[in-house]
Amino acid sequence: MSLENGKISSFQLSVLIIGFIFGASVIIAPGQGAGHDAWMAIALGLTEGLLIAWIFTALARHFKGKTLVEINSLVYGKILGNFISVLFIWYLFHLGALVLNNYSRFLELELYPATPKTLTLILIMLVCASSVRRGIEVLARCSLILVTLTILMAIFDTLLVVPHMDLHNLLPILDIPIGKLLWTSHATAIFPFGDAVAFLMVLAFVNKPEKGRSAVFKGVLIAGLVLIGVAVRNAAVLGQMNAIYTYPTYITAQVIDVGDVLTRVEVLVAINLITMGFFKISVAYYGAVLGLAQVFNLRSYRPIILPIGILMVILALTNVSNTAEMFDFANNGYPIYTIPFQIAIPLITLLVAKLRKLPQIGGDQA
Amino acid sequence: MKGKQGFVLILLIIIPVFISGCWDSIELNKLSIISGLGWDVDADTGQVTLTFQSIIPSETKGAAGSSGDGGQKRGNPLHTIQLDSSTGSSAYDALNRYSQHSSRRTFYQHTQLYILGRSAAEQGIYPFLDSIARNPINRPNVLMVVSEKKARDILSIQDGMESIQAMGMAAEIKLSAEYSQYPVVTYLEFAQRLLSETTAPLAPMVGIIEQAGPEGVRVKKTRINGTAVFKGDKMIGHLNEEESRGLLWAINKIKKGFVIIPGANLEIVTAKSKIIPELQDEKIKITIAIDEESNLLEYDGHREISSDLLQDLEKGQAREIERQVMAAVEKSQALNADVFGFGDTVHRKYKKEWPVLKARWEDIYPYIEVVVKVKTHVNEIGEINKALMRD
Repeated sequence: MSLENGKISSFQLSVLIIGFIFGASVIIAPGQGAGHDAWMAIALGLTEGLLIAWIFTALARHFKGKTLVEINSLVYGKILGNFISVLFIWYLFHLGALVLNNYSRFLELELYPATPKTLTLILIMLVCASSVRRGIEVLARCSLILVTLTILMAIFDTLLVVPHMDLHNLLPILDIPIGKLLWTSHATAIFPFGDAVAFLMVLAFVNKPEKGRSAVFKGVLIAGLVLIGVAVRNAAVLGQMNAIYTYPTYITAQVIDVGDVLTRVEVLVAINLITMGFFKISVAYYGAVLGLAQVFNLRSYRPIILPIGILMVILALTNVSNTAEMFDFANNGYPIYTIPFQIAIPLITLLVAKLRKLPQIGGDQA
Repeated sequence: MKGKQGFVLILLIIIPVFISGCWDSIELNKLSIISGLGWDVDADTGQVTLTFQSIIPSETKGAAGSSGDGGQKRGNPLHTIQLDSSTGSSAYDALNRYSQHSSRRTFYQHTQLYILGRSAAEQGIYPFLDSIARNPINRPNVLMVVSEKKARDILSIQDGMESIQAMGMAAEIKLSAEYSQYPVVTYLEFAQRLLSETTAPLAPMVGIIEQAGPEGVRVKKTRINGTAVFKGDKMIGHLNEEESRGLLWAINKIKKGFVIIPGANLEIVTAKSKIIPELQDEKIKITIAIDEESNLLEYDGHREISSDLLQDLEKGQAREIERQVMAAVEKSQALNADVFGFGDTVHRKYKKEWPVLKARWEDIYPYIEVVVKVKTHVNEIGEINKALMRD
């Protein structure tokens, strides 16, 4: 009956969310627009991100065990509901393609200058397709190992770079106009924290639905704190150059030099991107595939995995023509473009459900 | 089930074809590993000349093996490195021209030094800095050096014990920074200072000296002999040995080294400094507080070593440090280049007033009142505690 029979625990959900949020943000430094106040932009963004998480978890709590697609057709009826679902699925699909795009751009610039982007994209897409095929349970299980490794590597990098830090670089606090700070923190709330709205397609499979919200909060909070730490580290090491480099975390790792022996550890950052990007792409991919299967009442979502993946690769290759455009979109377009998906759809759906006095579902399910 | 197995088999055959690594690998003997990169600009035509010092790997091995017969190698000084220049209208133009006539691919991941010719530095090095930062093959911790003459001249000198000259010079610069003589400046530090609103970028300056070598031959050697001071991306002057030391005292970069005062020589154990800005009635006053501890290395007075004497030494030492710092301050104010980062410290402390001050910084800086406060302490006096000679 159900398209997904797997169940994940709330702890696994938290870890998966951490991996998802790290996704592209391990290399694309969130809050970079705020210069050395990036950590503050992330802190404010984290607050707003928790608010976004509060909205979509409220919706998930109202309809326990239902994905957003099922919720939409319950709330709006079949036709309008499916229309809204398709919009949301587009967002997930586009999100996956954007992350794929970041991914291939970074790898082409820093690691594999001679390898065609298409090949890197196809390889990562095959891995993601395989994990989507095996369902959410498998993804959640491997997140535990890889996220732990990533956090350990971030701590390792940070310890090694301590001699190159100058905390004076963080002063004076609040050095940018307040408007710019607020805009940057909103951008940070949207990417990476708000993107967690994709978990509306996953929350249905948490074995104890009432613990879903606290699990989401925990995940967002831990990921946010790590990102704040990383932002402080990058600004302390790179100073003003933090705002200049496209991938400051990578450059920070390049600075590491322990006695001329332990150098060139920046590839660890690239490994972090490769593993964490995998989670972000997979969750978005999974949500899009599962959602589409539910909209069209398929018996299994598996037949559409590869077609969607191929389309995602094509979109990733074509939607942004260069890095300048990517950053322009990420800084100026994306924070507005995503508001309907991250805030409006969950909020309006929740309000309509309350107005129509739809009963809470799945309250007694264990 | 059969079909699935067949599919897996096909995948197993196809995937290795695509992911087997190193299809575009380049072997070591096809690479020209650049150890030092020089940048000269012709003042008249604006043509850029890049000088590449490349390592010849097979030769470095040979040189190490035959270190016993050093006399033989001396006839051919550039036995492990090869020097080549190419000229073009921009950095990448020169680079491309080099690649076209080179037999090997250039490889920058082990570059130790960027050497900027003096006249190029005086004309502005922004195009060079940009081309370095933009290209991911360049690393942020390569050292920046200004050459007193042309960059090519420095790179062509085989100096001292290292077979790869650029590595030798990088080691020399790091050692001179360890002995607190001249600053060691990486590309990243240079760029950070360049991006600051007021702070002047720095780089150690290398000159060429001639010494009497064996058999009466004059041997050329490289020597660090100053600190180049930039304003924006243009070099405007330099600090001499004493002023460079004074600069290091002020910016908290003193690690080891010696303080020589009349009659005694002291070895620095620890040193810390802090720049404290104060803003009073639109006037900036800077206090440089230095805290130093040292051991007595040599003493040629005849007085008995008493705590009174040590106090005298401490005072003398404090005077000497203050003199060095003030020399640097005066030179930097004469150049009107904020080498200490006073502007940044004011910015950190007086955020609100900063926009106004920043706009007038050019007029403010030469007249800033600088006070140096030195606290010194002599820890140890060595293995003897009395004078060797009586009065």
